This record gives sequence, C-alpha cells and structure tokens, in this order.
Amino acid sequence: MLELKINGGSYEVEAPVGRTLVETLRDGLGLTGTKVACGEGHCGACTVLLDGVPVYSCITLVHTVGEREVTTIEGLREHPLVDSFVRADALQCGFCTPGQIVTASALVEASPEPSREEIRHAMVGNLCRCGAYPKIEEAILAWRG
Amino acid sequence: MTHTSVRAGRRRLELVRPESAEAAAAALGNGAVALAGGTDLVPLLRDGIVRAERLVELREAIPRGVHDGRVGAGTTLAELEASPEIPQALREACAAAASPQLRSMGTIGGNLLQATRCWYWRLKFPCYLHGGDRCHAREGQHREHAIFANAPCASAHPSDPAAALLALGATLRTTRRELPIGELYRLPTDDNRRLTTLEPDELIVELDVPAPKASTYLKAMDRQKWAFPLVGVAAARFPDGTRLALAGVAPIPWALDSSEAIDRATPLPGNAYKLEIARALVRRALEAVA
Amino acid sequence: MARLIRTEKEVEGRYEEVWLVVDEDALDQWPAGPREVVGRPATRVTGPLRARGEARYTADLRLPGMLHATVLRSPHAHARVNRVDLSRALAAPGVRAAIGPGEAHVLVDEVGFQGEAVVAVAADSYAEARAALELVDVDWELLDPLLDPDDAVRRGQVVTEPSRYERGDVDAALAQADVVVEAEYRTQTVLHNSLETHQAVCEWRGDSLDVHISTQFIWGIRDEVASKLGLPPDQVRVVCEFMGGGFGAKNGAGDYTFIAAELARRTGRPVRCMLTRREENVASGNRNATIQRLTAGARSDGTLVALAGEFVNATGWSGWPAPTDGPMKTLYDCENVRTVLSCAKINTPPMQAFRAPGYVEGTFGLECLLDEVAAKLDIDPLELRRLNYAHEADERPFSSKNLMECYRRAEPHWRRRDEVRARSEGPWKRGVGLASQVWYGGGGPPSYAWVRVGSDGRATVVTAMQDIGTGTATAMTQIAAEELGLPIDRVGLVLGDSARGPYASISAGSSTTPSMGPAVRSAAADAARQIVGIAAQRYDKEERILSLEGGRIVSADGGSWPLEEVVGLLEDAQILGKGARGPNPAGMQVLTFGVQVAEVAVDVETGEVRVERVAAIHDVGRVVNPLGASSQVEGGIIQGIGHTLSEERLLDPETGIVLTQTLDAYRLPTIADTPEIVAELLDIPDEHLTNLGSKGLGEPPIVPTAAAIANAIRDATGADVRSLPITREEMLRALRDAHEREGRPEKVGARTA
Repeated sequence: MLELKINGGSYEVEAPVGRTLVETLRDGLGLTGTKVACGEGHCGACTVLLDGVPVYSCITLVHTVGEREVTTIEGLREHPLVDSFVRADALQCGFCTPGQIVTASALVEASPEPSREEIRHAMVGNLCRCGAYPKIEEAILAWRG
Repeated sequence: MTHTSVRAGRRRLELVRPESAEAAAAALGNGAVALAGGTDLVPLLRDGIVRAERLVELREAIPRGVHDGRVGAGTTLAELEASPEIPQALREACAAAASPQLRSMGTIGGNLLQATRCWYWRLKFPCYLHGGDRCHAREGQHREHAIFANAPCASAHPSDPAAALLALGATLRTTRRELPIGELYRLPTDDNRRLTTLEPDELIVELDVPAPKASTYLKAMDRQKWAFPLVGVAAARFPDGTRLALAGVAPIPWALDSSEAIDRATPLPGNAYKLEIARALVRRALEAVA
Repeated sequence: MARLIRTEKEVEGRYEEVWLVVDEDALDQWPAGPREVVGRPATRVTGPLRARGEARYTADLRLPGMLHATVLRSPHAHARVNRVDLSRALAAPGVRAAIGPGEAHVLVDEVGFQGEAVVAVAADSYAEARAALELVDVDWELLDPLLDPDDAVRRGQVVTEPSRYERGDVDAALAQADVVVEAEYRTQTVLHNSLETHQAVCEWRGDSLDVHISTQFIWGIRDEVASKLGLPPDQVRVVCEFMGGGFGAKNGAGDYTFIAAELARRTGRPVRCMLTRREENVASGNRNATIQRLTAGARSDGTLVALAGEFVNATGWSGWPAPTDGPMKTLYDCENVRTVLSCAKINTPPMQAFRAPGYVEGTFGLECLLDEVAAKLDIDPLELRRLNYAHEADERPFSSKNLMECYRRAEPHWRRRDEVRARSEGPWKRGVGLASQVWYGGGGPPSYAWVRVGSDGRATVVTAMQDIGTGTATAMTQIAAEELGLPIDRVGLVLGDSARGPYASISAGSSTTPSMGPAVRSAAADAARQIVGIAAQRYDKEERILSLEGGRIVSADGGSWPLEEVVGLLEDAQILGKGARGPNPAGMQVLTFGVQVAEVAVDVETGEVRVERVAAIHDVGRVVNPLGASSQVEGGIIQGIGHTLSEERLLDPETGIVLTQTLDAYRLPTIADTPEIVAELLDIPDEHLTNLGSKGLGEPPIVPTAAAIANAIRDATGADVRSLPITREEMLRALRDAHEREGRPEKVGARTA
C-alpha cells in the first residue's frame, strides 16, 4: 500500500512497482483531468506538479513519488489561469489544456509577471497540436485578469 | 531502506531506496538497475530495451546540489540551469537540453548516461549496438546520426551537458574511482557494445567542474527548443588553451583537439550537412570565448 | 416543405452527384457586420469544462466491467501470415478473448503496410492485454515491400486510375511563351498526431451497439458500423461529446472500433480499444507525400499562358486521390492547363484526409512555381497574381470571391519587405514571401437542428454534431442566441450523441459551420415564430409587429415584456423549433480564398530558418465568432509551419518501417516555434450561400503557409527550396545550389524563348 498526497488530500493506493503516476491518477483514482497523449515523456499532456515542480506523470513511477505533494488539474480548478485560458481562447480541442495550465501555474508561482521569453522557455514541453500557442502566451501574460 | 514488492503481471519488480551511494552501489547488479530521474530509464524499461528485476532509487542516495565547483550527480538539469555557481557552458547546455519537465526530473548523472536517440536502436532493430552484426542507420536513415567514429555504429550521443562537461574538463567521482569525463565513454567494439566504462554496480556520485575563463554552448536542432542536438558545440577557454567538445556527432561526446579536427569527420551520404553546421558553430563558439 | 433534388455534394474537394431531400431556406441573411451576438467575440462554451479537466473525452470514459483491447499490428511492411496461434495469449492472466485474421474484417492475413492489424486481445487491464500480445505466435512470410512511388506508378501499381485534366492546348501555348519555368517539387508524409489518439469503447445492449468514439463524424460512424456489422443503423448509437483533435484522420471508424465491437460481442463486456502514440503514427493515416513536376509558361507581360503538372501522390496501401492537382486547375485564369494525377499504391500506411488534403501540397508547388516565374520576369509576385486573377473557373461562377480584396489588404504587409530585408545581419538573411489560397468550405445539406425553449426562458440547441476543437459548438450557440434575441449565456447546446439529436454534418472539409449554422438558425427561427405567436395571443398584438430582442418580446408599437413572462405560461410545455440546412446555390462554385505573407530569417551558415511573422487574410464569408476564428487561423498556420520546417515521417528505406513513431523523433511545432501571427478575415457574407453566408475556416489557413515561407526564403537568400520539410539539410543544399548557380545566366530547368 502506498500513501500519496494529492491536491491536499491523502490517498492509499495499491500498485505494482512499475506503474506510473498517471496510471494511478487516472485508472486508480479516477482523476482523469490529467491526460495521456504520448505516454513516453515527449508531449506534456500528463504534466502534474510534484512539490510545485512540473513533471511528466507518464514516466514518473508512482513508487518514486514518496512524500512529495502531487498537484493535478483537479487541484487547480479555481486557479486564475483557468479563467484566463478561457478568456484568451487559449484552447481548441482542449486535450493538452490541463497539462498547459499545470505547467503555467508553476511558472506564474515562480515568476508572477513572466516575459514572453520566459513563457516560451517554460511552456515548450507542452505540445498543442491545435496550435493554440499564441493565445496560451496571451493567457499567461494576462493570468491575473 | 524501504522495500516495495508487488506481483506485476508475470514477474515481480521491486524497488529499493538506499540512503547512501555505497548502499546503492551494493544493491546494483544481478538484475538491479539504478533509477534516478527516470526520464530515459522508464521508457526503456517499458520497451523492454532495459530489463530489470529490481530498481534502485537513487533520490536519497546520491548528493544533490552545487558547492564550490562540485556538482552532486543527483542535481537536476533544472537546478544547474539556474545555478550561478557553474560555468556558462554547462548552464547553457542544461537550458538547451530537453524540455522543462524533463530538466526538472532528470539528474546530471543520469543525463551523462542517457542512451542514444537512434531510431533503429530505440525501435529494437537487431543493430550493432544491440549486439547485432550491422548498423542499420549507415545504409538507412541517418540524417541525425554520427559524423565522427561512425563505424561500425553510427548512433549519435544526445547529451548537451556531456559535451559541455567534456570541454570544461570535468572530473567524475564514482563509487569506485575518480576519472576525467572523457574516460567515462568508450566506442563500441565487437566484444563489448557498451558506450560507457561504468561498471554495472558503479554509480556516478559527484562531478568536479573547473572554472574556465570563458565558456559557451551552442546548439543546432530541428526546433527552436526541445529537440535533441543535431550538432552541439561547447567551448571553454582556460589559461592553457581552449577546449572544444561536440554533442550529437559521434556515438559518444566528442572532443576536438582543434577546430581543424573537424576535417577528420567521416560523414555518411545523408548527414554531411552536420559538418557545415559544426564548422560554423565551432567558429562562433571560439569567437564567443575569445 | 421538403424537396427532392439532384445535386453535387462536395467533401474535402471530392464531388459526387447525389439525390438530396432538402428543406427550403426561407430566411433572409442578416445584414453584414457584427450583430448582437453573431460577429462578436465569444469565449468557447466548452472552455471551462475543458480547461478544468472536467470534459470527458472518449479517453476518459470508464464503463463498469470495461475490458481493454490491444492490437498486434504487423511489424512488417509487406508480409503474409501463414499461421497464428492464440493459445498462449488466451491462457495469459486477465485475458478474456483473442481474435485473429478473419474474426473481424479489419484483421487480415496479408499485410500491406507496417501497422495493419492482425490479432487483437481483450483483458481486464491494459497492461495484461499488452503483455498477452507478446504471447501471440505468428508465422510471418516476408514479402518485398514496394516503397518508391515513382516506381509504383511506372509499374502501374496505383490505388486508382490516373486522372487527367486538360483545357486549351498546353503544348502550343508553351511553344509561344516568352518564358517557361520547369521545376520539381516534393512534399513529405506528415502525421496528424491529434493528442487524443484514435480510440473507441464499444458496448452491446442486446442487439444494439453503443460506440463511444473520438470522431469527426458521428453519423458516418453509425452508418459504417451498421453496414459492416449488418445492423440496422438505428441499432448503432454513436457518442462523442468531447474530442481531442482529428485534423482529418478521424472521419471513419478505423480498425479499433470493429475490434472493440467484436471483442465486446464475444465477452459480453464493454471494450476499449485505444491506439498508443506509436500505433497512431503507423496505423491512423497521414498526409501522403507528393512529387510534383510542374511547368509554367508566361508572356513577358506576366500573363500565364500555360500550366502543366504531373503529380504523383504516395498514397500508400490504400486511400483516395487527394487533389494535389486542384490548385493548378482553379487558382489562376489560365487558358491552357493540363494535369495528370497518379496515386501510387505502395507498402506504406494508407493516407487519410489531413486538413485541406491535396491543396496544401499542390499549393506549395504551384505558388513556389509562380514566384519562380515572377523572378524570371522581374515582376512583383503580388502583381503577378493579380494579373492572372480568375473570375470564374470552368464557366461556373463563384458564389462569392473576394481574393482581390484579400490582396489589397495584404499590401501593407507586403510593403514591409524592404524594411525586413534591411534587417538582415551577419549570417542572418531576412525576406518576405506570399502565397494565395483556394479551397472548398461551402458545406451542404443534409444537416438538422432542433431548438427547445422551456418556461424558464432558456433555449437549448439539440443536434447530434461533434465539436472537434474548432469551436463550432460556440458558433452554433451564438447563432441560436442571435436568432432568439437572447444573451449567449441563456442558450445551451446538446451535441455528441446520435440517440439525442438529428443528423448533423461531418466535421471535415471546413464544413461544420456552413452546414450546421443555417440549420441551427432555421430551428431557432422556427422557435422564435412560435414564441411570437404565443406572445401575440397573450398581449393581443399582431405577430408582424413583435420580435425577440435582448431577452424580451418587443412590440413595434412600444411595449416589451421579458421572454420568461410569455414562455412562463408554458409550465411543462415546450416550444420545439426544427431547422434544416437548405441547398447550395445551383451551378455555382462555393470556395474559400486568401493570401498569406510570411517573413523569415535564415542563418545561411547553419541552415536554420525562423518564421518571424505571418499575416493571413482570408475570405470565408460571414465570421460568426471572430475570437474562435482567429484561433483557427493561428492553429492552421502553426501546423503549416510544422509541415514546412520540422515534420516528416521517415521510413527505413529497406524495410519500410516507420522510424518516426514517437514525438521526440517526429517534431511537432512548439510554442517556441510560433511567429507573430496577424489574422484578418474579410467578414463579407456570401450572399448566395444559405441564410448565414458563412463558409468554413478549418482548412484555409494551412493551405498557403508552406509556399509563403518558401517564397520568403527565396526572397531572403536567393535559394530555391523545392522540397519539404525545409530542414537544415535541405536549406543548406538549396543555398549551395544557389551559390553554384551564381554567374550562370539561366536557372536550372528554365529557359527563355
């Protein structure tokens, strides 16, 4: 039995060694806001925070999470970025969007007024096939409304 | 030390969390594999390219952080990218490597040991590097492959920081020895296809990174960011001269003893363009550190 | 009143003659310009659900007892399956069923491409299903793969017979031309890579089948599944509420749906079959590579006298002829045009539609060729395009065409080129290029919508369409709100379920808004008429002086009442409006047009190309939602940049194995590759097209991007890039060619008469 701290709550999960964090979140706990699009650490759809740091949950083994606090999109639903993404139309199909918002939340936490260059540097690991990038940049610039 | 052991499908995979480098090294071998950031290992395990019965998690075992030019092998690339204490070439190489999430997960020790991106190797073609008798890339698609030392294997080493550390003349301390970073790597031979000299039960613990007068890392890739290097060039100027090292051009990080050494490249029909890029970036890097 | 007509139907540039039952389109178009809701920016109605991670995609569905299927796909490009032994797989932990060749029609015993499905397994967990695949024993007999498209065409191995087109006399015209330019262009195979992979969850309920699927065409899936499984269509229910991207690859049911349906039938359990990213990149379609051997002849005044093209599509093991020859036939007023389009049948994964299939590829060739003509004649490229402006093609008038206005609006962007070139510095050379766009996008019948208004004064649009991320759900909500005189937040939309609404259009071919929008408006107008009728009785007014505005019933003689006051009388009764898409204008071509101006910087020492700015001006009729429309334009251009610079499916030349199955090797553009994008839409309603005057916008923005960038590169460096993608290798090669050409008076492949 593993104990995981997720979005301020505590969960006990059973998982074989080798299971990834995202499998546990989605299949074990029903937290399906975190998406899987490549499953091998190339696209960013599965991004979650570990102690505030964005990581790819599809290549994070759940047994290595330990004491670290996991934050998923479900824990960021009231974050101002959600509104700013909608306002700026920074999503199209929306499949990458939870991951984008999770990554962006860490950026604005560390740098509340990020420059365009900082945004591009921090967000480059989150692919958006619809190409919402210009508006993602705008949404992050205007995240506080 | 914590053990977790659950039946997974047909075989048991275990995970141990040693609390010292020595204990971690002692736990290695016999089907036990070291797990640091996992950014390369986890996909390789899933693909069956690396097989393991036990994972030895290094997070508690290996030093992390930068102190007086000594870098803990468990330090993440993200931490190095932001560290004012390390030379510019290493900072730039870390900032240019992979994506932010991968930099936050991946450690410098793991980065030095990452496997090639050669698509034949990753797709498990029975190639030379996998123990087969030929390199599929040499006659096949090799535009991203090696232009130096590319026979019998044309795979390219993908690490940006490794090239920077090679130019900087870094020394590694492992659980067994100290060695210049150049001695970490070896070219594959018929009787040994491995690309490093690290023993299966040996771990990189710390890196000693000398401070140059000036250094830089320049990188050519297929996107503006978040791609492996087609060509990466590190230059570091020391009182006794300037050292150059390249990423993405040979099966291992490649030191150039002079800018003319580029002329000794042996490009394949589909990757001669890398030579042009390397020439330009070497010139620019030398100018930048002059 | 419904009417039976014989008409042409167009999807993705393919026309077919069909019988159609159509309803009259009795409403007059709204005047041009922004209305209360339509024509004004609206945020996506599904935005909060998607952004909060609450939207349930097919990938997120977890039905009780659901099993997971995995598919053994051929690791060989061409092979025969001599024997399959499933016994070890069937005995593996968690496995509930396994099927082999012939047990579902998509499982085959002779494979023509890597990725073709052979065996499928269903197990309690995905991991178990995946592990079981390794226990399937297959005896393969390897066959030689045919991979070279030119070779295939030479041998007559084609997917369809070559299609030939000729108007005028090309040879005679070329003989008299002042200048003739010949060039060969190549485009690469591109992979869709929608982030939600292809997948379906199938569940039988007695004799009826529920199909939850990530699709662009709910009703097409219903018909395809019913037909293949021998079911009455109404026994197949298709559901797709949220969809994670398609770009053309999700128009059909795919093998995964039939695999899930068969495994669900055998196990009596719901079954999910979901492609991995790697399967996606071998087995879900692609934009086929092309070879284009083109010739243009022009008079010294710039008049195009002849265009000729031999086009080879590397279609793959199966597929249809994407109209690579289309732009050459339709874009310019040229009397003599000859094209031949061949579709090579080779041992590579089959093509699927990909955002303006054929036209993206053909526009790259044609619009680069035009610039080579302009360079030879020393004519301004924009002027050359104006000189050869097509007012009609094939004697069929355009329902509307405002490309000349697009060119006019492109001028300020085009005029920046002196200043852009002057910013060249050291190895970085800068330049500007442009390219025109023509594509379909008129949509058509049939499409239906219902509008329900309850006593709370809220309206709900009900239609079984899908929103694949383009924002059509928002546009439909706006249209209904406009017609009902309601603020947008009082209109809801139910979509995504064939059991919960009427037939709706495919979301492909830039057709959703032009097909669905008029139906939604017509349904809303029907509901509005009924509300007005009730209000007239309630307030004792004549119907003709009553209208719905701002959530109120407004009387021309001065009175006004909140809508809730009238519909509040309904109690449990409801107003039900019904609407249908009317016919397209007879005898007219409904096309979209545009022009893009790209600014690039090229590092001539390292071959790096940066796209710095793209201005896009498109004519797509009335714009319903300017905010969503600008997102479509940006997204199309960014996909176009990937197509131009970094994306390429690579094959091992010996085995035909796809080498770029993963997203580290197959390089989609990132946020760091995004230029400044200026999107301008003319917003001129097409007066002949429906009660809305809107055309589609999904595809036009990707059409001219590659050519505009390539032309900008020529402007910056003098190098002719004729092959996509413009990798560093290709850029350096083109620069070397240009360098070697210096001093020679004639361009390679060109002659002056």
